[in-house]
Amino acid sequence: MNRRRFLTILGSAGLASALSTAKTAHAAGGTHTWPYHENSYGVLHDTTRCIGCRRCEAGCNKVNNLPKPDKSFDDLSVLDKNRRMTPTSWTVVNKYELNGKPVFRKLQCFHCNDPACASACFAKCFQKQPDGSVAYDGSQCVGCRYCMVACPFYVPSFEYDDAWDPLVVKCTFCEPRLKEGKLPGCVEACPMDALTFGRRSDLIKVARARIKNNPGKYVDYIYGEWDAGGTAWMVLAPSAPVAASKDSHQATGHEFASLGLDTHLGNRPMGELTGGALGAVPMIVAFWPVLFGGAYAIAKRREAMHKAETETIVKEAKEDMAAAMDAAVRKIAETQGPGMADTARQAMADALKARENTCANCGHHGEDK
Amino acid sequence: MRNGTTLLLLAAIAVAGAAYLTLWDAGPVPAAPALTSVSDAPSAMVIFPVGEKPNPEGVGMKPVVFNHLVHENRVDDCESCHHTGETVACTTCHTVEGRSEGKFVTLDQAMHAPNIAKRVKGNTPQSCVSCHTEQLQRRECAGCHGIVKPTRSEAYCNACHNVAGLTKADMVAGIAGKLPAKRNAQLAADTLKARENPVQLQPTDGPYKVMIDGITDEYKANMFAHRRHVSSLMERLKDNSLASAFHSQPATLCSTCHHNSPLKSAPPKCGSCHSQRINPANPERPQLKAAYHLQCMGCHKGMNVARPLNTSCVTCHKDNEAKPVDGAAAKLGGK
Repeated sequence: MNRRRFLTILGSAGLASALSTAKTAHAAGGTHTWPYHENSYGVLHDTTRCIGCRRCEAGCNKVNNLPKPDKSFDDLSVLDKNRRMTPTSWTVVNKYELNGKPVFRKLQCFHCNDPACASACFAKCFQKQPDGSVAYDGSQCVGCRYCMVACPFYVPSFEYDDAWDPLVVKCTFCEPRLKEGKLPGCVEACPMDALTFGRRSDLIKVARARIKNNPGKYVDYIYGEWDAGGTAWMVLAPSAPVAASKDSHQATGHEFASLGLDTHLGNRPMGELTGGALGAVPMIVAFWPVLFGGAYAIAKRREAMHKAETETIVKEAKEDMAAAMDAAVRKIAETQGPGMADTARQAMADALKARENTCANCGHHGEDK
Repeated sequence: MRNGTTLLLLAAIAVAGAAYLTLWDAGPVPAAPALTSVSDAPSAMVIFPVGEKPNPEGVGMKPVVFNHLVHENRVDDCESCHHTGETVACTTCHTVEGRSEGKFVTLDQAMHAPNIAKRVKGNTPQSCVSCHTEQLQRRECAGCHGIVKPTRSEAYCNACHNVAGLTKADMVAGIAGKLPAKRNAQLAADTLKARENPVQLQPTDGPYKVMIDGITDEYKANMFAHRRHVSSLMERLKDNSLASAFHSQPATLCSTCHHNSPLKSAPPKCGSCHSQRINPANPERPQLKAAYHLQCMGCHKGMNVARPLNTSCVTCHKDNEAKPVDGAAAKLGGK
């Protein structure tokens, strides 16, 4: 097998594997790397009902045995500042303003149908479970925090305080409690039913019914039904009609943006944008060492072989020359005496040396491997 | 309070308040001025579903008795309703089938269109429903009517579509637009008389206070001032003729809170439908705790009641010092 043939085989193998990766993704629905679980659970967050009492935060803190916060959950002054999730508060309520009226929204992991965090994690720490939760298992986590970059909702937080084994932390959907047949801590704590737990498919119907039965109360849109490929947690927003203007029809849905929700995520999973490129990573890991290692070995071997060959030729030539010299010197010694022979030997050796020196500069120099 | 200034001030306020109340009681009660008509229209009339097609059987929607006198005193000018500027009957242009004079707007649309687009030129017409819906924005109405939405039930339609002593001959003549004015006025007057002084449940028909103790873990039971709430609402509505016309059943006012159950003076308990945990069969039905909160806070929000704050739990139910260890979780967690 020569070098060219080896490279051809390797190259076509790499191409074939890349194509087959792309094909697998296509076969799984074109978009989804995770199957859609029909009976998965979700939560509907109705922001028209939320009063910003922070009971959900307290409930989350209690059921997950999180450390006591600096400010008590009765202290509503924390709502003056927009907060994000931290390793010790997995959900927070923020206050937003809509037409001069306060509207509260609870932030937590949206538990995407096709999570971006999972698509970014090369250690496979994130799993979309059949119950709807996106579970994180830190045993393989290397702390790269790619999930934090990938998440369109800025959900995963990192234990920066932990010097030895910092992990990513996020809302678990109270998965252990779901397994026991209990509600998530926040949902159970909500005194207004602003959080409704149920099967995702039922919640969409519930949300539609609320929008229909209360004309003018809600924005006719369920945030999370399709956003970022669909999420298990969905949000309803109060309608806040803008003053009639020329482009008022374009402002529909501005309420969600006012509630700090990204309305430009599109309806495809985030992972779809990077899935193809990231899917090639294992192939690169598997084939590139072989490819380049092989190429290097071939080059090295050729070099060694060439060197050995040259050395043999030079050695033979030298031996031939020495034998010829010897014969010539012997002949001189016979005919003209040993004194002349010594002089001739010396002259020939000098000439040979001078030639060898010049040849060393010209001979091997131009050869290109 | 060291120098007594505050005490003095309070005493002064108390004296002033007492004086004010005494004077108020002593003063003559101003009698409600009798409504006078500014037009030469009859004070009340029956609006028939006038149609072009022959209708010998007199089949059609029940006619409406329209109290012209009350309405003409409520609107700014005649053109609020008579939008063309001519004070003719609605059915002149708007018939059941629609006529070119009325731009083929049918009688049904002209009376019931809920949102009427603002006209670029001329008057923007109003329908019965659009104007009445606007009235629901009033503070005394907005509390309940933020929760209660009109439903197409017989009782709802009956509030208007209801004429006492209507015969088939009247109906046939009315649909053809040939009922004598005298008979029309007679029917209208009879109906209005029958509607006078509708029986309403009084605050005293309900309990004085209601103990709400379905869930007591973190907070103690709430003693709900039932009579105070009912009488406050009725006091605000006592001169509201629109409310008295549409709150046609004795217990209509009760039906915001005591909803989805037969209207009577002893309605079922909230907990008979609202379970303490969400019922998977009815995920839309609020849990008991949320049902109370949504009703109380929904109405207070609509009526702009500033206190108590939604987030001030202990104003309504006192803190329970003897809290169960696991609080709500223990009770609701299926144990």
